Amino acid sequence: MLSRLAARSIRLAHTSSSASQAAASATPATTNEERNEVDFPRTKRPIHPAPVRMGFIPETWFELLYSKTGVTGPYVLGTGLITYLVSKEIYVIEHEFYSGVIMAMMAAYGIKKFGPTVAATLDDQLAKEKEEMLSGRNNTIKALTEGIAASELSAEQAKGQSLLFQAKRDNIGLQLEAAYRQRLQSVYAEVKKRLDYQLEKSNVEKRFEQRHMVDWIVQNVRQSITPAQEAASLKQCITDLKALAARA
Amino acid sequence: MVWGEYPAEFNPKVHGPYDPARFYGKKDTPFTQVRLRELGSWLARRNKTPRAATQAVSRAWWRWQQKYLLPEKMGVAPFIQIAVGSMAFFYLINYTKYKAHRTQKYHW
Repeated sequence: MLSRLAARSIRLAHTSSSASQAAASATPATTNEERNEVDFPRTKRPIHPAPVRMGFIPETWFELLYSKTGVTGPYVLGTGLITYLVSKEIYVIEHEFYSGVIMAMMAAYGIKKFGPTVAATLDDQLAKEKEEMLSGRNNTIKALTEGIAASELSAEQAKGQSLLFQAKRDNIGLQLEAAYRQRLQSVYAEVKKRLDYQLEKSNVEKRFEQRHMVDWIVQNVRQSITPAQEAASLKQCITDLKALAARA
Repeated sequence: MVWGEYPAEFNPKVHGPYDPARFYGKKDTPFTQVRLRELGSWLARRNKTPRAATQAVSRAWWRWQQKYLLPEKMGVAPFIQIAVGSMAFFYLINYTKYKAHRTQKYHW
């Protein structure tokens, strides 16, 4: 019976896993044949922005120049450009330039110092909002999966009912056997009682007859002993005793 | 003038949800892959109405936004990029004033 249970549980796990795989790979409810998924895929909100170097220069610019100018290419380009602009005074170093430099230094310090903490706080807020927005969907999904598991469990339990019935049938068979044997036992006891009674009765009769016969014989013998016989036997006993006394 | 409507070539059954950064018109070679001798014909094929120009600028702005401003864990890069961009733009439009403040008369 236990091997039957094990085989049944393995079969159940196999079918449930294949069913979940089928559900995961299934397409959404409405299939649209015209939808061009290849050229116009559904846009997803990215998690991280495109990488930048030195705070604002996109990394793709560096990668573009890497094959032709190596690692230092963009830096040489930038330095050369700045040198050209400053030396030809296309970029005029005015009084505002120095305030701009100081503002840039203060901004860099502020970003470096407070950036991580601000990012962490905003990430927490974002996570809370996301959870709030997705809570309905996630709760429904959780409830449905739990419902699936519960219904599978009840189906499994229903299958186990047949085992229960078999066990109950066996139990009743055992009870019937026990009752039959008990009745056999009582029959045997009754028969033995009757036979014992018969035996006792015959024993008692025999004993009674024997005792009665003995008593009757003795009584008759006593009656048959006449007084003359009694005197003669008494005399004989006395002479015997005298003979014995003389010998001793 | 029709404001606030989707472009005429957008078809929700084919393209799915509307993405402001995508061009839904007829496909053409990208500008970075145009051969020099095809440049004239390529420019002739462009739609040169003010409406199309505005739409192009709008798509470029949305592309930049989706790359740097709208991701979940955005950094400080978009702010610095806007600052540097506006610095460059305002320097350009005030160039004549800055030219007058040059400190040297002759340059290499």
